[in-house]
Amino acid sequence: MKAVTDEQLIQWVADGDPSCLAALFDRHHHAVYHYLLQMLKEQALCEDLVQDVFLKVLRKAQHFRGEGSFKGWLFNIARNVALDELRKANRQGTDPLDDCETASALTDHRSAEQEAAGKQKVKLVLQAMAKLPAAVQEVIWLGRFEFDSYEELGQALNCNAGTARVRMHRAMDLLKSTYISMHGVPVDG
Amino acid sequence: MAEKKVSKLALELDDSGKALWDALGGVEQEEPSPGLRRSFHAKLEHASRRSWLDNLRDFLGLRSNTGWLTSAACLLVGLVIGQVSFVGSGDDGARLAALEESITALNRRLILDRLDDTTPSTRLRGVMDAASVAAGDAEIASALLVRATQDRVPSVRSAAIDALASSTKAPAIGEQIMSLLEQAESPIVQFALVDLVLRYGNAAQIDQLVNLAEQDRLHPDLQRHVYASVKGDTA
Repeated sequence: MKAVTDEQLIQWVADGDPSCLAALFDRHHHAVYHYLLQMLKEQALCEDLVQDVFLKVLRKAQHFRGEGSFKGWLFNIARNVALDELRKANRQGTDPLDDCETASALTDHRSAEQEAAGKQKVKLVLQAMAKLPAAVQEVIWLGRFEFDSYEELGQALNCNAGTARVRMHRAMDLLKSTYISMHGVPVDG
Repeated sequence: MAEKKVSKLALELDDSGKALWDALGGVEQEEPSPGLRRSFHAKLEHASRRSWLDNLRDFLGLRSNTGWLTSAACLLVGLVIGQVSFVGSGDDGARLAALEESITALNRRLILDRLDDTTPSTRLRGVMDAASVAAGDAEIASALLVRATQDRVPSVRSAAIDALASSTKAPAIGEQIMSLLEQAESPIVQFALVDLVLRYGNAAQIDQLVNLAEQDRLHPDLQRHVYASVKGDTA
């Protein structure tokens, strides 16, 4: 059990005590880093961006109204940072979340390690994931690893809980069909 | 093998979907470098250093840019009003005097209303407001006297007696107090007035009080109180 909630800590940050942000960083920077790495695939860049995300939290702390969870709000900021980076990387200037090519062109740097470790199934799933648009990847990633409720997931994705649920199911359907089209058979249980 | 992360997100999936979901849980997530935390803490310390502007904002209670804009706008409006008032008036003195008179009248009305209010806390506030003006205003002094002698709430009575301290020596108020004392039949009212005279009255009023006691026109306990107080004073 947390002695002090994230929401209380961010309130203290908003009230002028930036040292509380260090505690929030310690609690959440791994998760934010994992999310950014999934989206952007570059370790050094993601380490810089994680810090940028939390410095944005410091600047925007007074805007946190406590209407949702801190974590949902934090990932919404992280998402905007990731989108900005994807837009920068996209020379055509189209919305990166709609650009399947951008997402599939990103290399999965984890595959070699995991293949070497014998995680063939995980590797195949990750290959299918890499073929999906970034918008779909992020829904799956956040739903699978970060959030236990559609309310929080919706907060991070900037939509309501119902929309988040629909997007989550569509994303899983797309992952399944992509996996089958790539490997010929569904993933075995 | 890394431990799979359990997700509590409610999903309706078929078997292959569940298998995909489970397989995703086996993805190994790379950790950031150990220096990241140290680097962030250094950046945070740098970002937390307060500028003189931040300190000034806190001192003035202006934490946002909106606050600054509001203050600047208020200052500007004040300056414009001041300028217009200064330039546009030939008979400043008369207008200012009329304005002061209006404010005084309003303030007086407010005090009298408060002294007559049904709520004890409002009457108490009225008593406190009246204290500074009672000496120069017979109507307010009379209203205070009513509070001092007749208010059902002891704290209001007590505050009113204190508030009358500066007015008791004024001839008109002094006469009113002694007149009330002669007419008062209630021991509580008598006590309030006797207390007022003993604490703040002049020599003539004290003599008049002793006369009333000698004529048995005060409650016996108050008579003893008067004698004891006067003897104590003279001793």
